[in-house]
Amino acid sequence: MKKDSTKLLSGVSRRLALKSIGALGGAAAFSSIPGFTGMVHGQTDEPFRLGFQVHRTGIGAAYGRWYERTTNAAVARINSQGGIDGRPIEIIAEDDGTDPKRGAEVVEKFATQHNCDAAFGTLFSHVVIGSAPRAGELKLPYLVVSEGHHVASGILNRYTLQPCITDVKSQVQAMAPYVHDNLGKKVTMIYPDFAFGHDHRDYFSEAFARRGGTILEQIAIPPAETAFTRYFPKIPRDTEVLYHVMVGPAVLTFVKELGEFFGGSGPALFGFIDSLEAVDINSPGLEFLDGSYFWEGMPRYQQQGMLAYDAEYRDAVGVDANGASVSDARDVSTYAHMFGCWETLHFIRDIVSRAQGSSNMKQAMIEAAESVTDITESIEHPQGNKLFNGKTHQVFGHQYITRVNGGRLDAVHTTSIEDTFYPDEVDYTQQEF
Amino acid sequence: MVTARRASGYQTTAYICLMSWFAVLAMHSPAWAHASEQTFVLLLPTSVYNSVGLGIVVLTVFMLVVLPRQISGTLFVSCGLSPWQLDERLRTAVSCGSLILLLYLLFVGITGKRDPLTNMLPVFIWTVWWIVIFALHGLAGNFWSWINPWTGPYLVISKTFGLRPLLPLSDRVSSWPALPAYIAFAIFILADIAPDDPDRLAGFVAGYCLYTFVAMILFGGERWLASGECFTLLFRYVSLLAPLQIRAGSRRLGLPGWALSKHPPLTVSQAAFVLCALASSSFDGLNETFWWLTTIGVNPLEFPGRSAIFAQTVLGIFAAVLLLTVVFTLCVMLTVRFAGNVSDSPTVQLTFNHLALSLLPIAFGYHLAHFFPTFLVNIQYFAVALSDPLATGADYFGLGSHFVTTGFFNTLGSVRLIWLAQCAFIVFGHVLAVLVCHDILQQLFASTRRALLAHVPLAILMILYTSFSLWLLAAPRGV
Repeated sequence: MKKDSTKLLSGVSRRLALKSIGALGGAAAFSSIPGFTGMVHGQTDEPFRLGFQVHRTGIGAAYGRWYERTTNAAVARINSQGGIDGRPIEIIAEDDGTDPKRGAEVVEKFATQHNCDAAFGTLFSHVVIGSAPRAGELKLPYLVVSEGHHVASGILNRYTLQPCITDVKSQVQAMAPYVHDNLGKKVTMIYPDFAFGHDHRDYFSEAFARRGGTILEQIAIPPAETAFTRYFPKIPRDTEVLYHVMVGPAVLTFVKELGEFFGGSGPALFGFIDSLEAVDINSPGLEFLDGSYFWEGMPRYQQQGMLAYDAEYRDAVGVDANGASVSDARDVSTYAHMFGCWETLHFIRDIVSRAQGSSNMKQAMIEAAESVTDITESIEHPQGNKLFNGKTHQVFGHQYITRVNGGRLDAVHTTSIEDTFYPDEVDYTQQEF
Repeated sequence: MVTARRASGYQTTAYICLMSWFAVLAMHSPAWAHASEQTFVLLLPTSVYNSVGLGIVVLTVFMLVVLPRQISGTLFVSCGLSPWQLDERLRTAVSCGSLILLLYLLFVGITGKRDPLTNMLPVFIWTVWWIVIFALHGLAGNFWSWINPWTGPYLVISKTFGLRPLLPLSDRVSSWPALPAYIAFAIFILADIAPDDPDRLAGFVAGYCLYTFVAMILFGGERWLASGECFTLLFRYVSLLAPLQIRAGSRRLGLPGWALSKHPPLTVSQAAFVLCALASSSFDGLNETFWWLTTIGVNPLEFPGRSAIFAQTVLGIFAAVLLLTVVFTLCVMLTVRFAGNVSDSPTVQLTFNHLALSLLPIAFGYHLAHFFPTFLVNIQYFAVALSDPLATGADYFGLGSHFVTTGFFNTLGSVRLIWLAQCAFIVFGHVLAVLVCHDILQQLFASTRRALLAHVPLAILMILYTSFSLWLLAAPRGV
């Protein structure tokens, strides 16, 4: 495994590798996951109590259901292999209602009522931002699966990490090279007029301009809008690529009206699967998307010759080759995101194993996490290789671009990890525990 | 210890405010609102469906105008069936059994899994009790009087110890105490930060049950249940929609709602309670729409969570109750005026009290429609919880770990079916309301012409309410 680690590091940018080395205080601190087994100190049969902050109700419930299913599958696998050095993982799932105040309450319950060793699993950014301060105050390791840029931006604290899912800043900017080199040099962006859309607008525009492309127009749609045809004439005629990131209940209406407007002869379309996560790509109204491109965190449809551990992972979480539940082909999963729970649980297993026996277990977990650099593709990390930045507590990894092709999404491009890099905005290792 | 926790709580709140501000400035979630069944609803020709639904209600009003009184007046006749005397001891035993079930649920709520969709308490309370048992009352009659957890234990205790009411309630109290109790319940279900949390719910359920039992001992069992126990009132009124009515051993069968039309006028407090139930029910739906969220200054694609809009939701509940009460009162005043001022005209108050009954089918239909999608998902969680009743990880029904599905929300065909079923519930409720209203007006006003004139304001109100309810069903939602 050490060999794998070296091999992986030789392929990443010298700048990030050096930064990581600096954060660790020397090359001796390098670790690879999986690969380090750590020292086994003072083994105990006590379960490792892990608080699972899950969106069971509220706007995140659809994601929460799949996060829960993936979590249960990962815990079953880990426990069947002996848990963490003999300690079974015990999940204590608490619903945060997709509410930041409730999220903070739940974190407090994990720490004070349930005596949890760590907490994990949060997706929605406002809940992470509401909960992380409490985790920091209570010195509870808090590992999120959110995609938000909040961790790497530096507004949180040393106890909060995002070790197995990349953030939105990485994802968006990593799309620019492919769009520029393959789809077109002139892009019009259409996005909802609030922070989520603004993130896409800003990160993509900047990365696309660096690549030499031109953003012709940025069309902001009011969030409460449910009819879109009147905005389409604003799309310049010489647009080669339309970058769309609409979300919310009107997203299918948006796609349908876009199709009716262009009648199949418009610019190339590029979007984020977030718009259609858990929606069957063969739904009526989506025919127009045939031939269009999407970002995916992990390809929903099983790809030939890619991601060696994808089939095994699908089998474990009960998802078929089309990304739907094995018990109901209509029940499409949140496949682009939920791998983050599976991988984070295995990450936790490894850092706990490393920290086992320490007099201050929680602090040792954070230190063990901060010492991680490269994460190797494996059944524990089926989404692909990653590089963890111990300073920013954020992981970087491959992104996938898929094309709608005859009712399925076929992968056409895998970004390099370097495509996702940006300068560090924080060094959490400088913060006191 | 308390001080320290409070301090840290304030610190947390300050942090949240600060971080939320940073969040606004810096970044947001990559996936605020993913597509759901609402995305398909917005693709459906809901305006066409709504027009058809509205047309059916309008047609019902028209039919009542043209049909001779001899025919329309027979809609709600009922026929007697053979008497059916049930043993009161059985009733007591069933109620005591309910208390045992409740204690088991509270035990699981406190000691079981923390996940509200796995723990039997929230699944039972919000799916079985609030959706299924509610619906069954409108179909099968008032069995809450049997299955409530108080009457049986109260009878046993009162007979054993010879209890008599310590503080007899004055008649003027009527059913007013039930009103704030129901509003408190509406606030809990609509505005509370975590009504599904097993711990929290166990506290509320236990607290309410204890409060009711103490009140029964203080004021008398039957007396308090009729005055202050809001669910006894609610289920009793909803059960008046059931075709089969059993009272004092006699059984009568008629069209759904016949018992409503033959029910004596309510008291003012009872009529206010019915209005409160309908208004809060309608608000539970309105509060999720883009319209409401933008009205209170919330980005519908960026719902900040219940805690951020607690005050707005509470105010919304009160505003809905107030608005419906004012509008209904005005309609009743117009009704009396339209019917003409003759010596035998009923008073506005009597008309108000009597006609409030006609709103119950609307509340019932909306309740079914609103909770139908939730029922489809959560009844599966109930099956899973039932398969593991003691939260030991058992799976007696062999459901497996992939049992629960929401796949029916992911195709246009199944979403259309679900939506049309919801639409049918609403239209059925409104048609029944129009019919009941007409029948009551015929009782209040002897002359056919006067009854028809009196119906005009209420018919307009019910048509508008149909339109509103169907709009609620089709409106884009941000929660």
